[in-house]
Amino acid sequence: MNSPDSFLPPRIDPWPARLDLLQSATGLVLGLFMWLHMLFVSSILLGNDAMWTVARFFEGYFFFGYPLPWLVSAFVAMIFALFVTHAWLALRKFPTHWRQHMAYMRHMRAMRHEDTFLWFVQVLTGFAMFFLAPVHLYLMLTHPELIGPYESADRVWSGRMWPLYLVLLFLVELHGGIGLYRLAVKWGDFKDAVASRRKLKRLKWGLTVFFLVLGLATLAAYMKLGMEHAPNAGERYQPAVSFLPPLSKGGGGGFLARASVPPSQIPPNPPLAKGGMA
Amino acid sequence: MPRTLTFHVFRHNPRDPGSEPGVREYQVEEASGMTLFIALTRIREEHDPGLSFDFVCRAGVCGSCAMLINGRPGLACRTLTSELPGTISLFPLPGFELIADLSVNTGKWMRAMSERLQAWVHLSCEVNLNEIEAAMDPDLAEAVYELDRCIECGCCVAACGTALMRPDFVGAVGMNKLARFRLDPRDDRSDAEYYQLIGDDSGIFGCMSLLGCQDVCPKELSLQTQIAYLRRAMARQGL
Amino acid sequence: MKIIHSDVLVIGGGLAGQRVALAAKRRGLEPSILSLVPAKRSHSVAAQGGMQASLANCFKGEGDNEDVHFEDTVRGSDWGCDQRVARMFAHVAPKAIRELAAWGVAWNRVRAGDHEVVINGQRVTLTEREAAQGLITARDFGGTRKWRTCYTSDGTGHAMLYTLSDRVIAEAIPVHERQEALALIHDGQRCHGAVVRDLITGELSAHLARATVIATGGYGRIYGISTNALINEGMGAALALETGVARLGNMEAVQFHPTAIVPTGILVTEGCRGDGGVLRDVDGHRFMPDYEPEKKDLASRDVVSRRMAEHMRAGKGVSSPYGEHLWLDITQLGAAHIERNLREVKDICRYFLGIDPAKDFIPVRPTQHYSMGGVRTDFRGESPWLSGLFSCGEAACWDLHGFNRLGGNSVAETVVAGMLVGEYVADFCQSPHGELEVSTALARDFVQREQRGLEALITHPGRENAVALRRRMEQIMTDKVGLFRNGPDLESAVAELADLLARSREIAVSGGLDANPELVLAYRLPRMLKVALTVAMGALNRTESRGAHFREDHPARNDRDWLNRTLACWREGDALPTLEYEELDVMSMELPPGFRGYGAKNIIDHPEAAPRQAEVDEMHAAKQDRYAAQSYLMSFKQFLPLKYRGRNERLDEPLP
Repeated sequence: MNSPDSFLPPRIDPWPARLDLLQSATGLVLGLFMWLHMLFVSSILLGNDAMWTVARFFEGYFFFGYPLPWLVSAFVAMIFALFVTHAWLALRKFPTHWRQHMAYMRHMRAMRHEDTFLWFVQVLTGFAMFFLAPVHLYLMLTHPELIGPYESADRVWSGRMWPLYLVLLFLVELHGGIGLYRLAVKWGDFKDAVASRRKLKRLKWGLTVFFLVLGLATLAAYMKLGMEHAPNAGERYQPAVSFLPPLSKGGGGGFLARASVPPSQIPPNPPLAKGGMA
Repeated sequence: MPRTLTFHVFRHNPRDPGSEPGVREYQVEEASGMTLFIALTRIREEHDPGLSFDFVCRAGVCGSCAMLINGRPGLACRTLTSELPGTISLFPLPGFELIADLSVNTGKWMRAMSERLQAWVHLSCEVNLNEIEAAMDPDLAEAVYELDRCIECGCCVAACGTALMRPDFVGAVGMNKLARFRLDPRDDRSDAEYYQLIGDDSGIFGCMSLLGCQDVCPKELSLQTQIAYLRRAMARQGL
Repeated sequence: MKIIHSDVLVIGGGLAGQRVALAAKRRGLEPSILSLVPAKRSHSVAAQGGMQASLANCFKGEGDNEDVHFEDTVRGSDWGCDQRVARMFAHVAPKAIRELAAWGVAWNRVRAGDHEVVINGQRVTLTEREAAQGLITARDFGGTRKWRTCYTSDGTGHAMLYTLSDRVIAEAIPVHERQEALALIHDGQRCHGAVVRDLITGELSAHLARATVIATGGYGRIYGISTNALINEGMGAALALETGVARLGNMEAVQFHPTAIVPTGILVTEGCRGDGGVLRDVDGHRFMPDYEPEKKDLASRDVVSRRMAEHMRAGKGVSSPYGEHLWLDITQLGAAHIERNLREVKDICRYFLGIDPAKDFIPVRPTQHYSMGGVRTDFRGESPWLSGLFSCGEAACWDLHGFNRLGGNSVAETVVAGMLVGEYVADFCQSPHGELEVSTALARDFVQREQRGLEALITHPGRENAVALRRRMEQIMTDKVGLFRNGPDLESAVAELADLLARSREIAVSGGLDANPELVLAYRLPRMLKVALTVAMGALNRTESRGAHFREDHPARNDRDWLNRTLACWREGDALPTLEYEELDVMSMELPPGFRGYGAKNIIDHPEAAPRQAEVDEMHAAKQDRYAAQSYLMSFKQFLPLKYRGRNERLDEPLP
């Protein structure tokens, strides 16, 4: 086996195990990230400044004292990579032949079994996300700095992204919720598996409903804001002065250091046309 | 006033070139305590002497009579008609070779699975039968028996979307067996050896946790737990 | 014509058949197994309660050994068994259980320290020895003086069958599933194999083998209501009977189990009573102690069944739309014990009765359960009349059980007989007699005869309805050849069954020659009727009561005239079987005939019983070491294969 031209298979091929672990791990990270993402995005419901603060936070603004949008880009790139990996691994499970598809459909109709049905929901939502998620990911990758109350609202409304986000919301929440539940029953070591599964199922549906409601409310907030801001689309948001730390370079701007922000130190607006994909 | 039950029963003899798969309807008057075994026997005796189905123990222990009862796999012999609606559809178990009508060849499938998974205790040596047997922890013995209660009825395979899409998938029955032997101190195989048997997508990593198996198993085996346990053990082999 | 060769053709894929095949394989032969159903679905799987073997590990089993097991078995048989076979059996049973333990059966184990049990309606604390921790434990069963019945919850047969089947697969023994033997191929002296029908395609083939082993189980299904699986139709007995030369033994010895549920006849294990359950009547009264003060609910099955019927006749039964029944009460064992040790019982109650046995009484009544009779063999398992034909397990009359079998001795017999007969089969195959010398012409004749018979069935414009004939046969057997028997009823049973047999040749069959359930019933029914006739005629002729065979008109056990074994043979062209009798030799018995210790004491003594008893007493008075005394009274070890002659180690009996 040491000889380089040996075609003997290894005694154990570890890759099926690794790929399975990788599929679960990427799913876990993506699923948890989507829930957190929703919580961050929904900060708009607490007000524009709250959302602005969250957005700048991820640009390292409160750490470095000035925003580094490429941090967001890097993070998005990582999520993109996880997404691609997860999609590639999950693709192995899809029904690839018509015969397989028909067998599953017949089975699902006959069994009327929730978890069997939910898997099909995952296939559909996963498939749809192949196409829809990259649109959003690409925008975030290339324009990380355009995350903010007005910026995002303009994207949603004036950029006509809301139909995509509306669909994506349902896809993500269903797929992620089901996927995280499935991870729990797939790997979990429960004392009473039947009772635990019942609880997990309740939790899963509860969280899905919660995030859908939260998501719809958030999207509605952005749409409303976007509608109101439509005449000034492309204008960057300026936070209310008194609550925010200085944007001075190396100014030791801790989150708690509240000071006024001279407009000159705010990054310049990109030259975007009104109504463009901001 | 007893109900008149309407049965929609799948009929087809794949070896008869003149036979087309179809459904025949029968009416049977319900009796108290009537099981599907009693009802089908009556159909055969009174309406259709050529109807094929498999009952052996008729007591829910041999696993012969699994079929799709209103779409779900179950043991026909211990299904009371009183628990079903007035219209009952009976189809052969999918995932297995059809013999005729409601009769499928689960035995052939199970033997092939056992051979493939080497589903038997691998002994390190023969024991001296005159000597007192090796001691075994009483709780462990009970735990092994708990997994040994599988009756190979095929319900878990027929309830598994993965198995129906991919005929080479070992199904919950196979994974439960390996979990049983892995637990058994008399089987001296290592995890690496088990991994060679099921460490791929037709084995443990093919399972998509649809849990149809867990929900239809007539013996209420802890299939979800066993599959998860095996998955964790096999995943460790990949690290 | 397809011809398949093997060294050993085993007909039947249950415990006995698979164990024989394993023994043959391990001796370097090529066995193959025929089974009506996938082997793991054989009726062995339904054995619940346990397997007797004198391991003496648990507290209540201490002091147990082969001698006690032997004596319990002989008493249980009402002295009808072959005592040499019972000795061989009791000696090998511990080895069999230890072998199964090594192969993977998860026998329940002893927990050292205190545990609570129910004995005779009382909660009692037993203390298990530290030394026995983790060794195989046992429960109480009817007719035994020690707790000797080893078990895995109440799925013992399942655990044993799956373990043996897994070994058969491991050792690559072919199992031809859904194949049925229709006739033995023989020349009147030597059996050469069988004509086999594929139940899927209908194709006939000739399976030729040096040795043919019938291990097809019992014939319970000739009765209408039976605890037996639907496949136990006595086809193995019929195969031997139809050779015209092989004999069936003690066919009238049919056991009725006290506790089958009403109305389906599904068994709930004797372990229910072994673990402390009791029988109750319509008033909720526990009646068994009134009849059997000594063994109470745990007398042997024949006795408990008769006492139950007697009590119902006295007007104490519970009426139901399905006839009278009594109650089995296991409520005091508690839900936890039932969940752990009587799970199948719980499932059966839940699915077939809709009750919870931890709270409700279970409706039970005596129901046909076991066939002590079967293909008569010598201690090696071979038919004395047809060389190369072997039989073991319930299909055989080896004769371990005589006229009544003890609970837990049945699965024990299957594996013990499988081990022993398997060795003898291998010896036979490897001896000059074992050479296969058969012309294919003979095989073709047999195949063609069966083929013509089947073709005649589907082309013949029959006028009889097979289902109606079958129902009538079942009714006759239940009503007239049941728990209580009498001359006039038996005479009418024989006459009616003979008439049914004649009519069964006129059965109408539609459909073809392949997977056709109608055809299967049509060719099996005449064979079942022949088996039923041997039962009814044996019962008619035996004008005494012994074990499970009870004649109201001859209630005494008549050792003087009937200490013998019925042999039935069906000569070609005859309308009825011919019966002959094989005497049992009292002077060579280790345990001379006496009172069983339970049941009615109504015995007409054998003239040699007293002198033999005196000899035996003298021997015991000499207080020799038990092995020496036993060997002097009835030596048996020379009949065992060399590998199974060693003594059995126990905690209190270390190996020398």
